[in-house]
This record gives sequence, C-alpha cells and structure tokens, in this order.
Amino acid sequence: MTEIEEKQGDFEMYFGPAHPGSGNFSVRVQLRGERVMKAVVDPGYLHRGFEKLMEYREPMQNSVLSDRICVLEPLQWNLLHAEAVDTLMGYDIPERAKYIRVILAELSRIQSHFIWYAVMSMGTGFTTGFNVAMGYRDYMLDVFDYITGGRLYPAGYICPGGVRKDLPEKAEKKILTLFEKIDYMHKFAKKENPAWLERFKEVGVLTKEEAIKLGATGPILRASGVASDVRRDDPYEIYDELEFEIPVLDEGDAYSRYLIAMQEIEESKKIVKQAIDRMPKGEVKTPNMKPIVHFRKAKGETYTRNELSRGEGAIYMIATGKKTPYRVKIRGPSFTHMIPILKHLLTDSYYADVPAIYWSLNQCPADVDR
Amino acid sequence: MSVVEKEKNNYKEEKIVTALSKKLNKKVNIQRKKRLWVSIEPKEIVDACSIAYDMGFEHLSTISVTDWIEKNNFEIAYHLWSYKEKMLLTIKARINRENPTISSVTSLWSKNAELCERECHEFYGVIFKGNINLTPLMLEDWDGPPPFRKDFDWRKYVQQEYYNESNPREDNYFEVKK
Repeated sequence: MTEIEEKQGDFEMYFGPAHPGSGNFSVRVQLRGERVMKAVVDPGYLHRGFEKLMEYREPMQNSVLSDRICVLEPLQWNLLHAEAVDTLMGYDIPERAKYIRVILAELSRIQSHFIWYAVMSMGTGFTTGFNVAMGYRDYMLDVFDYITGGRLYPAGYICPGGVRKDLPEKAEKKILTLFEKIDYMHKFAKKENPAWLERFKEVGVLTKEEAIKLGATGPILRASGVASDVRRDDPYEIYDELEFEIPVLDEGDAYSRYLIAMQEIEESKKIVKQAIDRMPKGEVKTPNMKPIVHFRKAKGETYTRNELSRGEGAIYMIATGKKTPYRVKIRGPSFTHMIPILKHLLTDSYYADVPAIYWSLNQCPADVDR
Repeated sequence: MSVVEKEKNNYKEEKIVTALSKKLNKKVNIQRKKRLWVSIEPKEIVDACSIAYDMGFEHLSTISVTDWIEKNNFEIAYHLWSYKEKMLLTIKARINRENPTISSVTSLWSKNAELCERECHEFYGVIFKGNINLTPLMLEDWDGPPPFRKDFDWRKYVQQEYYNESNPREDNYFEVKK
C-alpha cells in the first residue's frame, strides 16, 4: 500500500458518524485543498454480533432477529434466513407461500430503492427529492403493516416453513393500488433535475475489472457492465418461472448506478404483477411444522444466497443436531461496497463529490457491521 | 424443469468437478445443485484458490471461520462464485486451534480478501500470513480474547463487566434460565 506523504497544510475531515448525511458510519478523509488524498473507513458503530447471537437461539427466534440485520430491507433478510433454515431442514414450501415471499421481497426492494433515491437527494442538497421519496415509501409501509403487522420490522413474518399467516382480505387489491403511488414516484424521478443529476455524472467511476476484484455485487456490479443477478443465476423460490429483465449499464459512474435503481423498480413491479396474477390458493405453511424437532434432525451446512436490493446477501449456516445452529456467517452486500470500494472511489476525488459517491453505493451501515 | 434440462444441469456440474479434481488433485464433491466443495491442506490454500480463480471462480463472496472446539481446530471456508459457470465453490482448510496461521489470499483478491481476513482475525484470532493490514475493524478498544470463539462466554463476560450481583436491582441478570 503506497502511503501519500503528508504536506504542510493537509488536513483531516470527518464524514460521519454524527453527520446528517452519513448514517451510522464514519469516513475520515485526508484533504489537500479540495482534493481527497486518502480515505479511512471506520465501521463498527452498529456492530451487534448477530452471528454469535444466532448461535444461542432457535431457528424461529433467529427469524425475528434476522429482520434487524438491515433496517432498510428487513423482509429480504427474513426471506434469506428462512431459506437457509428450510434448506437445512429439507422443508418443501407450499406454492402459495413462495408467491407471498416473492411479492413481499420485491415490494421491499422497491421501498429500499425509494430510500436510495431519498438519501441520494438529501446528501446532495435536493431536499424535495428526499421528502417526496420518503412520503411515497410510507404508502408501502402501510401495506407492510396491513400484511405482516409491522411497518418496518415484520417480526419474522417470513419464517422457516413458509409465512406466518396468509394474506389478509383485500391485500392483493391494496398492493395493486400501491402501483399508482410507485408510478407517481417514478414520474417524479424521471422528470430529470439536470442541475442535481449533473453532480453524479462521471463521478466515482468503477471499472468492470475493479468491480469484480473488489467484490462488488448487485446494482453496483450491474452499473459497471456485469450482467449478474442471483435471481437469474442462482434462482430461488419462483424466480425461474417469472419474466423480468436485468438492467445493465457500462459506464460505472454514480449516475449509472442511479439509473439502474430506477430501472429495477420497474422490473420489480413486473415481478409483483406476475406473482399476484399467478398466485395459487392453498396452505402457506409446511404441514406438521415442528422447527425445533426438525432442526435437531438437520445435520449439515448450507451457503444460501439471495439478491437483496443492495446486492448479494448470503448466510452460511452449520447445524450439528442441536436446537440452535452451530455457526452462522452473514455476508452483507454493503460490507464490500462500503469498505474497499468506497475507499478506492474516494481516493483522488473532490470533497464536494464525497456525498455523491458515498450515497450512490446504496449503503446500509447495519449490514456492514452486523 | 423437464428431465432433459435436469440432466443437462447435472452434466455441467460433473464436468466442472472432473476438471477441478484433476487440477487440484483432490476429490471435489457436489453438495447440491450449483454448490461444490473441496477440502484441502492449509499449506495449499493459495495454489488451490489461484487454480479456482483461473477456472472462473472470480468472485470471493466471503471467508468464514468455524470454531470446532472439540476437534481443536478452526475450519476456514472460502466461498467463491463463478460468473461464467454460475456455480459456488467452497474451499475448506482446517488449521490447529493453538497455532491458527494460514497464508493470505490478498495476492488474488487484493482489498476484498484483506477485509475478509481482517474480520476473521478480529473475531477468531486467525493469523493470515502475508496480510499487512490485520488491524481492528469493528471492535473499539477491545483487549479481551477473540469474541466469536466458542470458549468465550459473552453472557458471563457481560455479567462480570457490567452488573453487580449484590445490587438488588441487577441480581435478576444472574438467574440462570433453562
């Protein structure tokens, strides 16, 4: 690692953890005038030790715990945990439960991309964008509340063996009315605000080779020209039966990352529509479900991957015949995005571009620290 | 999925397994669809990873450590994804718990591997030879033993560190629930 020699007049600036535009995450940037010479990333403000906590709890308790890994996309983490346990226990999930899982995961992806839009605008001084996106996201939270019982945290609604309860009455109708709100938001985002979007163009460019080497996944990798999506490459639930596109752009700058997010909202909408149309009737839980008994019988390991809204999320779980897992390793997508990639992109950029680069990576400090 | 398609998929995995087994000189196993694993000696880790890298397993998903305290060893697992073959390969190596040292793979995945190894070093105390940056990552001012090891009882640690049994307001933290 080549260290840049410090000169007289160089100074350090803290971006976070108590900065309005940083989240619970800290970056120390060493500046020479307006130029960033070096960036030191300092995670750990949200470290809660989930991996160790899960070793002391039963699968159903862990299901509730898994929401808390990332506050911005709890339903998708719920799904990932449930899938890992299902694989270990050999549960065959009823078809209807699979459809409900996918609908909720995709709605969660859309609301997470709304937050992405919101924080990108807030970080770069476009406060109207923040208010509009967070406002439209709230309609989606109302639907989550109606279905799962929790606005933010579903408290393990997607649990091993299926989902806790069937969709309530008129839930499909409520989801379809949500589409109007999503379209409004999309229209708002499409009416380009040139002065604001100019800040993202040709900023924080990540090439294809660098993206693969530094471990980029999800929208960040797709914005750098690699057509990779866990839903397509390593399909889970019913994704192999659904039709959807994977948006890919070659530029690799902050603006193309933003465009990918906007296109993904459209694709997720397509998925939800198809899933609602095709959803069969029937059970939503595996019959004769006894998670503790069945988990004691499960011996072995699994590496389960999911496409979260930020990229590849994975859980490595080992069961040794006890009622609690022997080892749980959690891979959060922001872990690689926020440490090596952010450091790489910030070096030799301008200080004014720091928020644009920082937020274009769609970070979640909670899944970096776990 | 039709029967023909299923056979096609299995055929693809078997093809990779044969090629990998030949190059690594080890038995590569199929765990389930799109999941392969191989167990190797710790001294071969860099060679094995570079063979896998050359065969298309370019994405280092993560590195995980499992503390097998009864067998007195740590199992280090490297989870690699291939964008070309669309398959996951897990390379496992077991190292002694008393002297947990293994070579670093930073030559292949630079900063990504450096970060994963830093995390493993902090939580399990595994030393990665060749990694120049094994500084603390998440835990601030921590001078106790590596906390994710199986012999570290965090409940006991929290009781001793933060609660007083003779204080009537805090004695309920000392009741053992079964």
